[in-house]
Formats: sequence, structure tokens, C-alpha cells
Amino acid sequence: MITRRMMHAGAAVAVVLLAGCKADREIIKPGPKQAAQLGYRGVGMEVHYDPDDIARTAAANQAPKPLPPAPPGPPGQYQNVQVLTDISAAEFGRTMTAMSSWVAGNAGNCAYCHNTANFAADSNKGQPIYTKLVARMMLRMTRKVNSEYTNHVAGTGVTCYTCHRGQPLPNGLWFYTTENQILRHYLDRDDIRIQSHTIEPNNGNRTSIRQSYNTYALMVTQSKALGVNCTYCHNSRAWTSWEQSTPKRVLALYATTMLRDVNMNYLNPLQPVYPRSRLGEHGDAPKAQCITCHNGIYKPMYGAKMVKDYPALWGAPGWDSIKGPLDLSGTPLYDGTPLTAPVVTPNGARIGSAPMRAPAQAVEVAAMGLPPATAMPAVTKVPARPTQ
Amino acid sequence: MIEYQNLFTRVQVHAPVDPGVPLRGGTWGRDGKPFLFYWAGKIGDAQIGPIYLGVTGVFSLIFGFLAFEIIGLNMWRSVGWDPVQFIRQLPWLSLEPPAARYGLHLPPLNQGGWWLLAGFFLTLAILLWWVRLYQRTRALGMGSHIVWSFASAIFLYLVLGFFRPILVGSWSEAVPFGIFPHLDWTATFSIRYGNLFYNPFHMLSIVFLYGSALLFAMHAATILAASRYGAEREIEQVTDRGTGAERTQLFWRWTMGFNATMESIHRWAFWFATLTTLTGGIGILLTGTAVDNWFLWAQKHGVAPSYPVQYAVKAEQAPYLRGQYMGVAPDSFPGMTRDAAGRLVPQQLPVPQGAQLTGEVEQFNKAVLSTVDMRDSLNLDGLFIMSAVYFDTGMDGLRRESDAEVTNLAGLMTQYPTLKVEVQGHTDNVGDPTANLTLSQSRADRVRDILSTRYGIAADRITARGFGQTRPAATNDTPEGRRRNRRVEIASQGKVMLTAPAADSTAAAPGTTP
Repeated sequence: MITRRMMHAGAAVAVVLLAGCKADREIIKPGPKQAAQLGYRGVGMEVHYDPDDIARTAAANQAPKPLPPAPPGPPGQYQNVQVLTDISAAEFGRTMTAMSSWVAGNAGNCAYCHNTANFAADSNKGQPIYTKLVARMMLRMTRKVNSEYTNHVAGTGVTCYTCHRGQPLPNGLWFYTTENQILRHYLDRDDIRIQSHTIEPNNGNRTSIRQSYNTYALMVTQSKALGVNCTYCHNSRAWTSWEQSTPKRVLALYATTMLRDVNMNYLNPLQPVYPRSRLGEHGDAPKAQCITCHNGIYKPMYGAKMVKDYPALWGAPGWDSIKGPLDLSGTPLYDGTPLTAPVVTPNGARIGSAPMRAPAQAVEVAAMGLPPATAMPAVTKVPARPTQ
Repeated sequence: MIEYQNLFTRVQVHAPVDPGVPLRGGTWGRDGKPFLFYWAGKIGDAQIGPIYLGVTGVFSLIFGFLAFEIIGLNMWRSVGWDPVQFIRQLPWLSLEPPAARYGLHLPPLNQGGWWLLAGFFLTLAILLWWVRLYQRTRALGMGSHIVWSFASAIFLYLVLGFFRPILVGSWSEAVPFGIFPHLDWTATFSIRYGNLFYNPFHMLSIVFLYGSALLFAMHAATILAASRYGAEREIEQVTDRGTGAERTQLFWRWTMGFNATMESIHRWAFWFATLTTLTGGIGILLTGTAVDNWFLWAQKHGVAPSYPVQYAVKAEQAPYLRGQYMGVAPDSFPGMTRDAAGRLVPQQLPVPQGAQLTGEVEQFNKAVLSTVDMRDSLNLDGLFIMSAVYFDTGMDGLRRESDAEVTNLAGLMTQYPTLKVEVQGHTDNVGDPTANLTLSQSRADRVRDILSTRYGIAADRITARGFGQTRPAATNDTPEGRRRNRRVEIASQGKVMLTAPAADSTAAAPGTTP
């Protein structure tokens, strides 16, 4: 017999269910989800994605249009050029224009890195221009990545825009702070591996559970950086087993190797160059991680090939035109700026909040994940060649 | 016919209060005058009390409260005593066991000592509670089934926090106190040891756990369904099957061909529940002691099936996948090696020219960091900040605890003769900023003098610089924070990396290019 109490209860349940449906509809976008099988049948190695999300992120991750090609010419037309010594003057100017739009907000922001009264100088009014010194090192890094880490970047390569996205600070910069312990361990020095390769315990593997947290967290960091799940690379039943992993995992391994090189040999050594406001709480230089290039997508900008249009960034295996250390004499270790309350980026990196020395035309702290929605302006006018 | 049922009992047990059966003697009387409570009667017996605490009960509550306080206060401290953050972040707050470097030694209180104390008191409370339960079963002339089930759960608890850490020689292997932290520990434990679901005792534990739920549901539903025929008088019906028991047993014979009896169903439930934690505890005990990788164990014994290889490894990928990653120590990353300048470079790739001496600094850092063993305190984490030396307010004499830091630093500077450091002095914000600047300089000078006079480090390798109160490392609002701000930090000078001679002595000088 259906009692009155039962009817009340039924009505209450219906209200709750309907309310739940309504909330769901607001959160979950319409459109069928897709799944791609990556492993042997039944092992659950699948990637799930929403075509609507792909369309949205693809629109927001468009590569800027390449500048018109430069006419060929002999190299070495400018003074105090240390890295781009092997390209023509026209290509040099074209590259500078592109860099300005990629990093400094627009194509005409030369003063972001240069003393406009003397473009060859590394200093302005007796003070070193740190942005120029950093840019020089970043050009070396870009050439190294494009020429020697093809096992990760393949023919796609990287340009300044891959990370910078029109802004002075790329996404996901990290420092030696407590929040970034995991990155410090693995993108610098330590071993990621935690599982044994023997059944029995052995003295070769004394990894603690505490260390294992770090590996776990690093893996989640990579997963978020690429917008994929664990089984994009792994068979979750045996994380270490290469035989059961997808080839993507090898690419990620190459990437770790590359990031260690980039962080230890290119980004960290810039520490004395930066003003205090660019350093972390412990006085270390900003460093890169997966999301810095990937921006939440399994291939940065869905694999847009930008570097093919910029021969200045190619480099060659074993290439490095700088035969000695950078001359940074006179560069202060710190500029003495007191550390003010740091800015915390959405991914937890802390960046000092003191203003930049050079005028910045873009937002200082890039929001994580999504680059600016506006496309980069197409540049047609190349600035006149600086006179000495 | 549809019938509406809910959680509440349909019979309100409402009888004159009853002090209970007479005992054969006891050490402590029953406390409190029993009374009837309507809402208790909706889910059980309406009578509340009398209660029996006893000596063991009282001490169990005291120790349990101590453990609760230690855990809670440590969690509160971890958010800087901010009550709002304490509530907001409570599910993620944690009291962690000591770091691995302490092994089974006693760490300082804030390095895991509180965890040991909390665990000690909690264990004491649980064991005393067990004794209390045991004594009560005896006093009432009952069997001791309840306490042996409870003992099985205690066994799992002790395996996780006591037996296994001792077997593997480190308190750090134990579970942290915290809501999500203990769940994270579980996931990480499984990952570290090659997937716990291949552990056969873990499998058994899950069988018993799910089996308990199944038995619970079958039995409770059966009795409720036949209670209108008096089936809830289960024990009577063990020997004198009434029509309720007849019906339920026929039901299960009809549907399964077999039925448990009114008595045996409780044995099933008892053993399933008790074996859940017993087998689980054995599984944990074997992990990291007898078996380090359960997947490999399962594969060896044919438990984990093999699947066809989906992807072939390319020849150029092979060197990266040697599987020699058991080396463990830092820098054993496959495919990485050291170049002539000592810096870490990929093994397969040519060493770039003009290598800078970053390797020297990096090795130095590594040596320091391994010496202090990645200690948790601030300022030891940074690449450029090596150690911190602490002072008393207004004084430039080192605190005794800092002697070791200076000795350590001197040893490393002797070991790495090209390394230069800057000694950076800091103060808290007590007093005049200008005076603090002078004080910080004198603190830095003091450390520099010790390094050069006591340990013979060349004076030109050490610069001393005072920063006053401008760069606090911690809050100046608490005594502890101010103590941490009264410090000297040692920074390896970044310039060393960039002005040291290049590995390639024939390199052209940097500068103009025609």
C-alpha cells in the first residue's frame, strides 16, 4: 500500500535528482566524448577526450603567422653579435622583430632588450641590460634544443613563442621553494625511479615511500602539463615496464633529459644576471618544466611547425658559436631590491612582485594553461638597421 | 505490495531501566543512573547507561586524548596557527613520520618526534581499550569473540605503524596521521612496491572485505524479511526452528541449494570480518620485507598475464631503456653522464664547447645537500644558499647549534678549492634598522673570520655582506620566526660559474665580432 509518507519521500528524491541533473548540465558541455585505445585490449589503456575541448584549446593555441622571408646575404653584419653569427643581416633583423613580438608583447618593443641609442651595447647608462643577456642565452638554448634534442622536439622544434606566447614570462616557471620540491628533485638531479626490478628487496633500491610521493607528484605534473592521463604513457599495472608502455613514454624520458640540460646549463647559470625581482625566494633563477612549452596540450600548439620559418633558431649538432664564457663582469649578484610579497602563479610558482626594469608591454605573470586569446599582430615593417 | 521501510526500528524498546545482570565481582562499579532516550530507541535500545569505564578505560581516554591533541596541534601549527586555514585545509593537513635519514632513531620533536609520541599514545590508548573490552567480556561471562576481532584490526594497525617500520629499519615507512595524507600514503605505498593488488594477501583481504559486506547484506535482509515470523529471535531458533527460520532457510535452499544455520551465519560473518584485517596485515608485513615488487612476483608465479608487446623499441631508444635504473643515488639518470667540466650532460650527445664550471658548483651543492640530507628547514633548500647559522637577539656570537654548520662549510670549501662564497648576514626586525644593518654585517664578518682564522680558508674566497632586516626568511611576528631570521646564510657566488676559465683554453675571447 502506497502511504502518504512514501509519496512525500518519493517527491523529495525526485527533487534531489532533478536538481542534480540541472547542476550537471551546467558543468558538463554537450557533445560526445571520444576514446582512443592505446594498449592491448582489456588493459584499459585509453585516452579520453572531448572534441569540443580540443576545438576550444586549438583556437587558443594558434601559432602566429610567419614573417615574410628575408633575402639571402652574407653573415656577420652587426657588432657584438655572439650567437646569431651565421645569418644574414636581413634575417637577423627579421629574427629580432619576431622575438620582440613573441616575447616583449609587440614587434616594435626593441627597448625591452636593447639600449636604443646603441643596439650593440649590453648595458644602458652603465647598468647591464639583463633582458638582453638572458635573450642571448635563450637563443643558445633554443639552437641547442632544435639541433640536439630532435629526439623530443623532432622536426617541429621550438621557438621563443612556444614558451613565451607573447609574454615576457612563460608559464610554469618554478623555483627552489617548498611547493616545488618535486620539480627540484627531478628536473635537476635526482632519480625518478622507485620500483625494484627484482622480486626480493635489495640494497640497490632503498627508495623510501616519502621519495615515492615525489615521483607520484611529478607524474601528475606531467599529466596535467600535457592534458593526458596516466595510460597515455603507461600500463598502470606495471609503471616501470617499458615493454608495456607506449612510445610516448620514451618521448617524455627524452624531455626530462632535455629539461635537465636546459635547467642546469642554460636557465640556472643566468642567476647572477637577473634582478632580485626575477629570482625565487631562495635567490635561484626561474626554471622550466613540461607545462612551460606544452601549456596543457600533448603537443605544444598541436604540433604547429614554427621553427621551419626561422633559420636563425636552427643551430646544428654540436653548434655553439660562443667559445668562452659570457662576459658578465660588472653585473651585480642582486640589485639589492628587498623581497616584497611574492606573486603566486596559478601553478604555485612564486615570483617577486617588484616591477621589471625594462618596460614590459604584456602581463607580467602569465596565466597558466591558456595563452592570450588575441592573435599576434602581423608585422610587415622591419625596423631600420641600427647605426653604430 | 510495496511497503515503505526506513532506517528506524519499528519497535520502540521501552521498558523499566535495568542495571544489568549481577557480576561475579568487579573492581569498579557501574556509573550513572540509566535513563530512556526516545531517539536511541529508534535505532537501538532506548536505555542509556549504566556505563563502565574502569581504570583501563580512563587511561585509554587520557592517552587517546593526548594523541588527538598532539596530532591536532601539530596540524594547526603547520598552518601557522591560523584557525580559518586549519578548518579549510584540515582534510589535507598531516603529521608526518620522521624522515628516512633518522631510521629507527629518535628524531627531534618537529622532525617526526611528535609523530612518534602521537603514535605511542594512540597505541597505548588502543591497547588499554582492548584490555578493557576483554575484562568486560570476562566479567559478563561472555565469550571473547569481540576482542579477538578487535585484536585482528589492532594487528593491522601495528603492522602499518610499528612492526613493518621496524622490519625495514625506518619509521619513515609508517603511515602519516591525516585524512587525505593517509590515503595518499596508501596509493604511494602501492606504487612503490609494484602494485599491491598483485599481493595475494591483499587479494585475500579484499575477498574477506567484500565477502563481509555480502554476508552482512544477506543476513540482515534475511532476518528483517522474516522478522514478522519471529526470525529475529535468532538464537532461540538455532535449536528451535520457528516458522521464521524455516522460511528463510528454505528460501536460501531454493535459491542456492544450501543454507547457513541461524548459528553458522554468525561464524561466517565473524571469520570474514576478522580475516579481512588479519590477511591485510600479513600482506603489508610481506611488502618491502619479502617482496619488493608485487607485479614481478605475480608475473613469476603466473598471476599476472602477459600481453603481446604493442610497440617496438627503436634502436636509438635502447640506450635510454637499459633498465639499469637501480643505481639509485642522484645523477644515475639513464643517458646522462658528466663532461670534463663535471656537468651533467646527456650521454648520447656531444659536449658543447665553452663549457662553464657549473659542475663545480653543482657538485658542491650536491655534497652540501647530501651532508645536510635535504633537511626540511628553510634556506637549506636553495641551490645558492648552503646553510644557515643562527644568533641570539642583538648578539654576533654564534649559537652553539650552528658550530656544525660552519665546520661543515669549512670542510666543503677545503674540498672544493675553487669555490668562493658570500657570507650574508641577516637580523630580525627588533630594534633600529640601521643598527641592524651594522649588526648583520658584524654577524657575517664573524662567520668569515671563523672560516679564515680557525679553518684557514683564504680570505679572498669569502666576502661578507650584511642585509640587515630587509630579507627575512620567516615571519618576524613569532619568536621562532625571529630566531630563524637572526641568521647568516652562505651563498656560493654565482659569478664563479661565469667568470671561471673555460674548459677550452683556446677559446676566443667573447665580445665583438667583425
